[in-house]
Amino acid sequence: MKIRDIALIGILSATITAGKLALSFIPNVEIVTLLFIVYTIVFGYKKVLLVSLVFTTTEVFIYGFSTWFLVYYMIWPLLIIITESMKKKVKSEYGYATIGAIFGYSFGAFFAVVESFFYGVAYGWTYWVRGILFDLLHGTSNFIIILVLFKPIIDILTRLKKSYYRNKN
Amino acid sequence: MNKKFKVILSILIVTLLVFVGYKAFLSPKGVEGAKAVTIRVINENEDVNKTFEYNTDHEFLLELLEEKQEELGITFEKYDFGTMVIGMLDYVADPNKQEYFHISINGEDALTGPGEIPLTDEDVYVFELKNY
Repeated sequence: MKIRDIALIGILSATITAGKLALSFIPNVEIVTLLFIVYTIVFGYKKVLLVSLVFTTTEVFIYGFSTWFLVYYMIWPLLIIITESMKKKVKSEYGYATIGAIFGYSFGAFFAVVESFFYGVAYGWTYWVRGILFDLLHGTSNFIIILVLFKPIIDILTRLKKSYYRNKN
Repeated sequence: MNKKFKVILSILIVTLLVFVGYKAFLSPKGVEGAKAVTIRVINENEDVNKTFEYNTDHEFLLELLEEKQEELGITFEKYDFGTMVIGMLDYVADPNKQEYFHISINGEDALTGPGEIPLTDEDVYVFELKNY
């Protein structure tokens, strides 16, 4: 890995953290999913898996330890791997908006399964049912955000990537 | 009409329908009408074990607690996900000592906050100071 790649991973991680904090006043509306998807398409899964590691670790520093960080270490890499495996087949923003929507709708269920291991099935079930409306908002907002912003961000990032790796002085 | 706009409009309508369905079938429902309920506060640190009986028309526990806030010396804390009871009978749980007020309904642990606990006739709601 080159110094240029390490710097890029730092910058991408910072943009995701900043993007999350900027929208944190609206529950479950975020651009983290969109950014992980577009970063994976433009920069490849290897770098973005490291970005997810830095992002989750930064989140732990901001919000402290709890069971959620275990899910974060799994769920973002999962999204990256899904995106990587789909990127040759899926070309349209509709496909990625659908992936983002499914990801958002199932976000709470994924947490509920992990919480069940710590606090029991009853707690996990209650956790999921109580969060259904938040998951609904999460999935739908992901769909709309990705549908609207996917193409413009891909275009900008592709151009920036070319100039970033062209100037190798 | 733009295709993307149509798709966004469609998903918003579907989301709204699911929201209405959730509210109608899955969310906890209160019981209308008069109910006789008991609230018990246990705080072994302060040697407190008091029982209060109320007749109420409220549908959820939080509504009753808000009405009786002064009498029960309740301290609330509001979060994005709902309201928590952090103090009872003028004693506020100390997070540095890992204290919290544990809620149980007829001996069963509550799985939600007071905002989602429906009031049912003859139910007993216990607030006990515990350590996590």
